[in-house]
Amino acid sequence: MQLSFRATQRLYRFLTAAVLVFAGIFALFPLVWTGLTSLKQNTDVITAEMQYLPHNPTLENYFELWSRKSFVTLFGNSVVITVMTVSLCLLVGTSAAYAFSRYRFTGRNAALVGFLLIRMFPMVLMLIPLFIIMRNLNLLNTRIGLALAYTTFLLPIATWMLKGFFDAIPPDLEDAARIDGATRAGAIVRVVLPLAAPGVAATAVLTAIAAWNEFLFALMFTTNEASQTWPVGLHLLVGEEFNLPWGLLSAGGIISILPIIVFFVLAQKSLVRGLMQGAVKG
Amino acid sequence: MAAAPAERRSGLSLLRSHWPAWLDVFAWVGRISETRYWAWLMLLPGFLLISVVIFYPVISGIWLSLHEYNLLRPARGQPFVGLQQFIDLLADEKFWLSLRNTAYFGVFNVINPFLLGLIIALALKRAVRGAGLVRTLILMPWFMPSVVAGHMWALLLDSRLGVINDILVKLGLLESYWPWFARTETAMPAILLVGLWRGFPFFALLLLAGLQSISQEMYEAAAVDGANAMSRFRHITIPLLLPVIVVAITLRTIAVVNSPDLMIILTGGGPGLATHVLSFYAFQTAYAAFDFGYAAALSVVMLGILIFFTLIYLRVAGVDRD
Repeated sequence: MQLSFRATQRLYRFLTAAVLVFAGIFALFPLVWTGLTSLKQNTDVITAEMQYLPHNPTLENYFELWSRKSFVTLFGNSVVITVMTVSLCLLVGTSAAYAFSRYRFTGRNAALVGFLLIRMFPMVLMLIPLFIIMRNLNLLNTRIGLALAYTTFLLPIATWMLKGFFDAIPPDLEDAARIDGATRAGAIVRVVLPLAAPGVAATAVLTAIAAWNEFLFALMFTTNEASQTWPVGLHLLVGEEFNLPWGLLSAGGIISILPIIVFFVLAQKSLVRGLMQGAVKG
Repeated sequence: MAAAPAERRSGLSLLRSHWPAWLDVFAWVGRISETRYWAWLMLLPGFLLISVVIFYPVISGIWLSLHEYNLLRPARGQPFVGLQQFIDLLADEKFWLSLRNTAYFGVFNVINPFLLGLIIALALKRAVRGAGLVRTLILMPWFMPSVVAGHMWALLLDSRLGVINDILVKLGLLESYWPWFARTETAMPAILLVGLWRGFPFFALLLLAGLQSISQEMYEAAAVDGANAMSRFRHITIPLLLPVIVVAITLRTIAVVNSPDLMIILTGGGPGLATHVLSFYAFQTAYAAFDFGYAAALSVVMLGILIFFTLIYLRVAGVDRD
């Protein structure tokens, strides 16, 4: 079958639109459904005939979730651990990334590749020794313990991302500042970091999202409700009750992704750029 | 204008005379930063942290795989057993089944999202109106906590309340609601569906970046030579995109082989052993059975598998070249 040029163009336009619409629906449908479920009363969830839209939209589930004492604790734990992880990764990562970006030293390439290889280690292989170390140091069930565990996989990624952003800043600018009398440390603080701010922010967002979402380490390294994180709490809610509290679970899901959406919207552009830095060179 | 810097400098020196003594630290750091030790000082915290939280655990994990160590039997201590646990592995039917499931899960949980991601990336590249919005929106599944993603799909596919069951029944494709995660024949496909949902944004984003770096002139030249769309795709897009494809696929394979999250959340490795993959087996052996020695041996086998993919990645990505 031979199509005319115009017909071919029309066909392509149609296909493109169809693919994009499908992609959008496929990506968002579970989210929308969860959102709808979170607004339903339990009688609207468990029905003989499927109820698509909530009959009487209600925020009951959100209030009930919030009134459970444990969930405030879980949420607080997650926030604190995320903040600690991000601070640790940014402090240590910025410093290492700057050195990798600006200095040429023996073993630099090996060290860089090493940083990249770390995320290829099986999580379970680190899980066991880390558990033993933390038990010996009394770090199990502590927030700082979890934050340290998260740096295992986040520090290397953060360092690579930051290095990419530093590479993009011409060294001439620093040199100029140093000619004007700034020390190297001064030039980093006054010239490099302000210029790299969007990149640093993107790295912070990515680290924050990953720490916020983390599940495996949090499950292994916490044993009581006082120290568990939000994802672990949500997971264990399923185990506790026979009839799954879908309304509550959905509300919990929506609450836990709200911060992600906010962060994501804030740093979308440089985030996308940064994501590709470690994976694809150039 | 010219007066401004002078004024600032005098303001600074005024300030400096009133600085508390501890602020001298900054001047001191500044001086250090001019020496040749600075690069090493900047690297030091990173290396220290990584040695403590990564290298030491990995090495002691490998060491542990040569020992018997069960937290529930403290009396037995940690006797050195050499390769005994690896020999036990060979006779462990669960291990072989997990290995097979890992291969199945690994292949399809990478190929499916790759194909969907590629199609979407090709569509996104055509820069129609709204493409930017779609590009942002489709990243959501990727950035979701695995627990939330798991629960969403558990609800969608629930055997009594699942909306997907409802739609399929109404369309006449299904006679009655089907317990997707509870049946041996559909548990793994259902998990693969969740994996597809979580995985395709990664491929779409990476492949789109790859597509955008292919120069438009290539396509124009080929079009002038009379190449149709299909042959342009085969002879320009695919060869030039190949490095990105291989990098994306190996990175995803590593992540997928590594993570037991979906199994922990959705099926617990069941029904029976239908979704019992290696990462889940190792996690379960440590987390529920507290047999740390055997779990370490299982992880070392995984390390071997991951190193294989890592070597591919290193070769193709060329990260060791500068």
